[in-house]
Amino acid sequence: MTSAVRKERNAFYARTWGGKNRHYDIFKEGAIALAVTAILVVALSALFSSPDDPPLTFKGWAQSAPENFYATAVQQLAGTSGTATYGPPYNEGDGISVGPLTLQKWGGVTHPVDSVNDLVITPLSSQVEPSNVTAALRAWNAAAPDQQTTWATAYDEAVQATADDNGDLHLDAVTKGDYGPVPDLATGLLAMANSGAYDNAMTAQGQFFQTDQTKQLLMMGDGSYMDGIATEKNLQGNTWGMMNEAGSWPGQIWLAFWSVWYQLPMFNNADGGTLTDNADAIIFFILMALILLFILVPWIPGVRDLPRWIPLHRLVWKDYYKKYGRFTA
Amino acid sequence: MNLLGIDLNQPATYKDIWEWVSVSVPNLIVIIIMGALFVGALLLPFPKGKDES
Repeated sequence: MTSAVRKERNAFYARTWGGKNRHYDIFKEGAIALAVTAILVVALSALFSSPDDPPLTFKGWAQSAPENFYATAVQQLAGTSGTATYGPPYNEGDGISVGPLTLQKWGGVTHPVDSVNDLVITPLSSQVEPSNVTAALRAWNAAAPDQQTTWATAYDEAVQATADDNGDLHLDAVTKGDYGPVPDLATGLLAMANSGAYDNAMTAQGQFFQTDQTKQLLMMGDGSYMDGIATEKNLQGNTWGMMNEAGSWPGQIWLAFWSVWYQLPMFNNADGGTLTDNADAIIFFILMALILLFILVPWIPGVRDLPRWIPLHRLVWKDYYKKYGRFTA
Repeated sequence: MNLLGIDLNQPATYKDIWEWVSVSVPNLIVIIIMGALFVGALLLPFPKGKDES
């Protein structure tokens, strides 16, 4: 198309409207849309109801998978848990990155979480404990950091060594060794969780009206309890979990644009790998590039011409084109 | 429980669409409804206004 023809075409479509006019009331249309949506929401809610899953609690975890809770407590003390090794914004570390773009590190440690104290020692210290746990707390607090790490790391390795082929731990098979107060601390935390006191102690950290559930979620995320329930309810990333609802209700379809990338095998490899380990950062950049592409559509030759090549809008405005014609060079 | 008497508190069934693409039945139903609405918006005629002049 030459420049002259393009000008002529643009002038044709920009000509003064000479056809009929119709009264249009945007408030009336908005009110109708609101009413129809409200009726649909009430009717569908009555027909299908909505998920009402009970919240996950540490008590539930401790009672259904005590070995896993115990081992997670030991990992917090040893600094080998997911939380302790997460990196920013919770603690120092590199975190996920795309090449030299260390997004997580750039954000900095804005929400510090000390896995030893916040998740184990502080909750244990918040209530009256049995004498062996009180003695263990005293021994832990009196020990040098190196000694604490030596005890906890040795016990963590001993506990993890009892895993069978299914990954199930057998605490009665832990080899004897010098683990200091760590076994008593983990036993005390498990007892606390079993009674429900750990749920309260975790919520009690923070302000009077506590709405920050970060520490609870991090602790839960380090074990297998929440992970197993998420898998059972199809809420993992590789089953569109980001846009799924619990149960058999449809999910948040508008998140499909984000969620679809997590379905690609290279981003959800069970054995990990660079792409899977850094999937969140890589997918962030992919989406930023795509969003930029959408914003720049009017300036990208070829892409901006797609409506002319695939003229779906002429189907919508077929009456207009029938009456008033199209530009022909 | 809902008025339909259907227990939706069970994990959804998944349909394999193609290789690594699978979709849950409830999401598939919503996608089909969205597709039908889109086709309807393209093909159904506009309502005629009373005060066309």
